[in-house]
Amino acid sequence: MVSKSINNTKLGVFVLFGLLFLIILLYMIGKNRNMFGSNFRLKARFENVQGLKPGNNVRFGGIEVGTVKKVIIINDTMMEVQMIVNEDMKSVIHKNAMVSIGTDGLVGNKVVNITASKEPALLVEDGDILPSKKQVDTDEMLRTLYKTNNEVALIAANLKTTTEHINSSSALWNLLNDKTLPANLHQSGNNIRMATQQANEMMTALGNIVEDVKNGKGSVGSLLADTSFAVNLNAAILKIKAVGSEADSLAQQISAVVSGLKNDIETGKGTVNALLKDSGMVNKLNRSLNNIQQGTEGFNQSMEALKHNILLRGYFRKQERKEKKQQAGDK
Amino acid sequence: MYLVNTETVKSFFNELGALSLFTGRFFTQCFRPRYELAEFFRQCFIIGYKSLPLVALTGFIMGLVLTLQLRPSMVDYGVESQIPVIVGIAIIREIGPVITALIFAGKIGSSIGAELGSMKVTEQIDAMEVSGTNPFKYLVVTRVLACTFMLPVLIMLSDAISLYGSYLGVNVKGVTSFSLFWTQVFDNLSFNDVLPAFTKTFFFGFAVGIIGCYKGFNSSKGTEGVGRSANSAVVMSSIMIFVIDLLAVQVTDLLGFN
Repeated sequence: MVSKSINNTKLGVFVLFGLLFLIILLYMIGKNRNMFGSNFRLKARFENVQGLKPGNNVRFGGIEVGTVKKVIIINDTMMEVQMIVNEDMKSVIHKNAMVSIGTDGLVGNKVVNITASKEPALLVEDGDILPSKKQVDTDEMLRTLYKTNNEVALIAANLKTTTEHINSSSALWNLLNDKTLPANLHQSGNNIRMATQQANEMMTALGNIVEDVKNGKGSVGSLLADTSFAVNLNAAILKIKAVGSEADSLAQQISAVVSGLKNDIETGKGTVNALLKDSGMVNKLNRSLNNIQQGTEGFNQSMEALKHNILLRGYFRKQERKEKKQQAGDK
Repeated sequence: MYLVNTETVKSFFNELGALSLFTGRFFTQCFRPRYELAEFFRQCFIIGYKSLPLVALTGFIMGLVLTLQLRPSMVDYGVESQIPVIVGIAIIREIGPVITALIFAGKIGSSIGAELGSMKVTEQIDAMEVSGTNPFKYLVVTRVLACTFMLPVLIMLSDAISLYGSYLGVNVKGVTSFSLFWTQVFDNLSFNDVLPAFTKTFFFGFAVGIIGCYKGFNSSKGTEGVGRSANSAVVMSSIMIFVIDLLAVQVTDLLGFN
């Protein structure tokens, strides 16, 4: 009888352990599915849910906070994901939190990620629809990769052609094989450095000049900085203008005289015409000039005779001495 | 010349019909008083508790070996961290129930077949009937019920021990904490993994019990018949386990639990 009782106890413990494991298993699964404890519902809408199924995890900041309850079709371009989230998250998740569909690892199950926004917003309430973010689609990624690959292949082909051209160019290889090239380049570098240095110095000097000019130093400086110069220049220009107008009137007078003379000449009247065209007048003038010459010679002789006259000789000697003294004083 | 002997086909259908009648008789007797509770608990102890060491050992080795065999391939694919997930699902859904049921069929099916067969050939069953005891109720119903209810418990314990073996297997070459291992296992299981797998274990237990009892109860030709009953009970139980497993998968799929 005692043995039978012990056997029953052993059997009871055996069954209990078996059932305990089953209960733990079911409890853990239920807990993961948020079947125990209080929850609230959140929704998000997507164009493509990428194979998301009820039971997939919902994460907030990488922590599992709920599960997907249902995925329903709203219309041909809109799917609604209904989630069950722990009640505690009501005080954490805001209305502007972004929902996206991701993958747990590279080949893992789909998960819904809720990402907090930095902008302030009210806390979520039961049944709220959160804004969703389109995840990078693998197909789209592959399409982009395919396009990039084609472009890379094209670039590689061009590069190959360029390389072939370079390889077949003897001029380039001669240039590359030229052993004096480095020395020349070095020298050129030095020259460039010196030229740069000189240019710097020149620029400094130019800067100084400009500075001087700005400060009103030198002729150009005065020219640019002195305000009275502008006034003088203006006055000079006005005077030049006045002289110009006087020259104009003089030219007009001369023109009137010349036209008068021209008129006289053409009409055969006046003194000028007589002077230019009357041959008798010319003879008379010649004779008069001869008479003046003869008169002058006679006058000279009379004057020489006066110098030797005893009355006037003293005066002339006094004049000579006075001249000599003046010349000695000049020397 | 026929590839299949008509006698064999005829005997197969005869056997199937007799087994069906035997099953029908079980259900008839099962719900009728008087209930042999003491014998039922005794059989539970013998069938369930006494089978635990064998089932626990095979379950432990199964989990450990499965993990070690799976590891190289998982490392090649770079998903070494997913070993607990894959082993957990495999053990809970399929390997645990089927392997444990096969071990159970080998131990208990043969035991029941031999026990009842020897009682039959030594006319103990007839003697019970003469003495006023219902041998079917006392011998068959208690054993079949004990098998039906003890195999699920054994399978649950086997699953737990297998997963522990798997945990040790994971830690042979890698390092995964106990809590992380169990978190990974439970996080990736769903009710659809556990409930259909658990439900089919009742059918496995029932099949092992009813076939063992049928073979033993219908044993003939002396001691030779006893051996044959034990042997055919194991073979037929094992086949039935696979057939039920196949049907369970189909039904589960049809009901949308997959």
